[in-house]
Amino acid sequence: MSKPILEMRGISKSFAGVQALNKVSFRCQAGLVYGLVGENGAGKSTLMKILAGVYKADAGDIIYKGQPRLSASTGEVIASGISIIYQELALVPQMSVAENIFLGREPRTSLGLLDLGRLHARSDQLLSRLGVALDTRSLVSQLTIAQQQLVEIAKALSQAADLIVMDEPSAILAGSELDQLFDIIAALKAQGVTIIYISHRLEEVFRIADEVTVLKDGEVVDSRPIGQLDRHTLVRLMVGRSLDEIFPQTDHEQGDLALIADDIATDTILDGVSLRLHAGEILGIAGMVGSGRTELARALFGADPLTRGEVRLVGEAPHWKTPSQAIRAGVALVPEDRKSQGLFTALSVRINITIPILSRLSRLGIVRRAREERVVSDAQQRLSIVMTSPEQETQYLSGGNQQKVVLAKWLETAPAVIILDEPTRGVDVGAKFEIYKLMRQLNDRGIAIIMISSELPEIIGMSDRILVMNDGRVAGQLLREDADEERIIELATLGGAEAQSA
Amino acid sequence: MVLAKRKSGLALSRDNRWRLRKFVADFGVYIALAILLLVAAVLTPKLFAVETIAVVMRQAAQLGIVAIGQTMVLLVAGLDLSVGGIFIMTSVVVAEVGNGRNEMIVPAILTALALGALVGLGNGLLVTKRRVPPFVATLGMLVLVKGATQAYTRGVPGGFVPEALGIVNQSWFVLSVPLALWLGLNAIFIFVLRGTSYGRRVYAVGSNIEAARLSGISVDAIRISVYVLGSLFAVVSGVVLTGYVLYVDRFIGSGLDLDSIAAAVVGGTAFIGGRGGLLGTIAGVLIIQILSTMVVLLGLDVEVQFIIKGLVILGAVTLYSVAATDA
Repeated sequence: MSKPILEMRGISKSFAGVQALNKVSFRCQAGLVYGLVGENGAGKSTLMKILAGVYKADAGDIIYKGQPRLSASTGEVIASGISIIYQELALVPQMSVAENIFLGREPRTSLGLLDLGRLHARSDQLLSRLGVALDTRSLVSQLTIAQQQLVEIAKALSQAADLIVMDEPSAILAGSELDQLFDIIAALKAQGVTIIYISHRLEEVFRIADEVTVLKDGEVVDSRPIGQLDRHTLVRLMVGRSLDEIFPQTDHEQGDLALIADDIATDTILDGVSLRLHAGEILGIAGMVGSGRTELARALFGADPLTRGEVRLVGEAPHWKTPSQAIRAGVALVPEDRKSQGLFTALSVRINITIPILSRLSRLGIVRRAREERVVSDAQQRLSIVMTSPEQETQYLSGGNQQKVVLAKWLETAPAVIILDEPTRGVDVGAKFEIYKLMRQLNDRGIAIIMISSELPEIIGMSDRILVMNDGRVAGQLLREDADEERIIELATLGGAEAQSA
Repeated sequence: MVLAKRKSGLALSRDNRWRLRKFVADFGVYIALAILLLVAAVLTPKLFAVETIAVVMRQAAQLGIVAIGQTMVLLVAGLDLSVGGIFIMTSVVVAEVGNGRNEMIVPAILTALALGALVGLGNGLLVTKRRVPPFVATLGMLVLVKGATQAYTRGVPGGFVPEALGIVNQSWFVLSVPLALWLGLNAIFIFVLRGTSYGRRVYAVGSNIEAARLSGISVDAIRISVYVLGSLFAVVSGVVLTGYVLYVDRFIGSGLDLDSIAAAVVGGTAFIGGRGGLLGTIAGVLIIQILSTMVVLLGLDVEVQFIIKGLVILGAVTLYSVAATDA
């Protein structure tokens, strides 16, 4: 075996007294793709941030290209040939593709002026190395997320990176965009670039990784060549639970019609969607990012005003135009982006959970503390939220526990219909399983659920019926028995008419 | 031995760095106040004379009352620069409506409160319905109110402040009327912020406005109400100040507007909203007031006051931002 390009030895790091990494060792050979997997909070991102120079390890050594490196600034790390592409892309939207690629390192003429000719020529060169055609003069703000990610990769190449870390790159991509990313990874690998690929999605790891390292609770569980792994083993290594147990099944019966939406449209992309939802069922909503799934959720909840059509509960007149009216009618929305729409990160678990039911908990506007504390401790037990105390600020909880807090908050409103937009995004596999179980329990109590998700196994595993969205409309509807990933992708990418004729 | 000890001490401090940060964020202002009092005990022992304490507390109350409203506005991620205009307006209204007649004090104060509420409503509507940034909206309102007041008085305020308003200068040992008012209003609003559903909603709106809206909170109503409260507190402070000087002055209360923001920020209330509270603001008010008094007692130029105030504010903001940085 040749000398590794990177070796991290015995890396330890703790935050706030919590051991995030414990003697983690990790090594890479040049020109291979390494999958780094593990539940949320397993320490993947922390390990990579130590590599990037964002955090300083408490103990351990990093040896890069044969040179030991004690600590380095992020700038020194980049200069040494390591580039990290974070989930939140760091581009300047108002600047062009080329300007972003060479931001701060623009080629200059002998007079010290910007050399626009070389700027664009070199950007073109980098993009063609990636095998993509992109106008280097277009503004980043006009690009799709997937194209922006390509710009980030080109930027990494422009810094002569020979080790590129991609932190959950697929979280923001869908379908064909993902295929393109994999092609690029393969091309980079052929050029001798080493890739560390962090992901939640095991299928991707199997498609591209040469070797997989599993982290759990801040320690390396195992590191194996991909050939020695299968899905079952990998899941078991990550969670200590096998795949069949992930989607809990029940044989509940479908209840009466609960909610009706007729031809609803909003100022956003949503353009004439109708749906029927029954008590005790899970209606899955699939579709690409930007197909109008989230807009549908917001419209049903009264968060975006309808420009036509109506939403109503069966047996009642349509009567909600705002979220607060929807909540009173018995509709709840767990939004897509926990941090920006679901959670009050600076406030305590207790305050988060009781926010929508304050009027029920108070008399003359004064919150009855004893009742409130009872509600919170009940919710904590029911959802097994892990926290140090109800007074803990929610920003210090793990992703899974944050999501449980948001769920607890909405369950307190005793909804008849609950809309879950990406309920398991950024949630570790263990908490995912608990959320699925909870959804089944809600079904058994007759609560109707709409679940939007980008993860097709989740959509297929959990839904009774699946609506596939495309371009603001319903492209097709599938029953669970008929649904498979190909059918869904076909509908999501081709749209209803084309898919049927095909 | 000594070396080993020091080393373990360092290791401990690294493990506890996060705890230390949290401690600074939660209790830093009280510790700063305690240290300031110790320094004062050495440099300006006169500060602890009963008469001086009475003066400091009366002035602190003056500032503290506006700072209650300012803190609440900051909690919803707002800012109220218009309070300076409200002081002047209040003083003119009290003099014009009261015009030396003691029986007109109550109508005069009610008029000032009503006008103040209108200003607050204007601020709130601009910020919510027209989406004007709070800085710009309340700055515009400040200029408007000042201008309207001057236009009304044609630059020469008329009328007389009723004598009986001097009641605000009554005191029982250190406990003056303004101080009692300050303490009372704090007690009420600390309870409102912590114990009522309204207070929860104020924090929720400041912490995450979109999440608050999706949680069924009428975020606009909450924000408007807070701006109205902010203006009402400024009117109350303005009445107290007018009663203290007992004449109309178009520079009345200058500096209190920015000091009220400084007190809240030094006390740990964040500009981004949702974080902080009135207890911290009380400490912030006391720090600012004690510093000002110490400068006078030390016989330094008044200009030095501004330099010290500036340094304290910058120091506090730096400390909080360092404390808020995770890593």
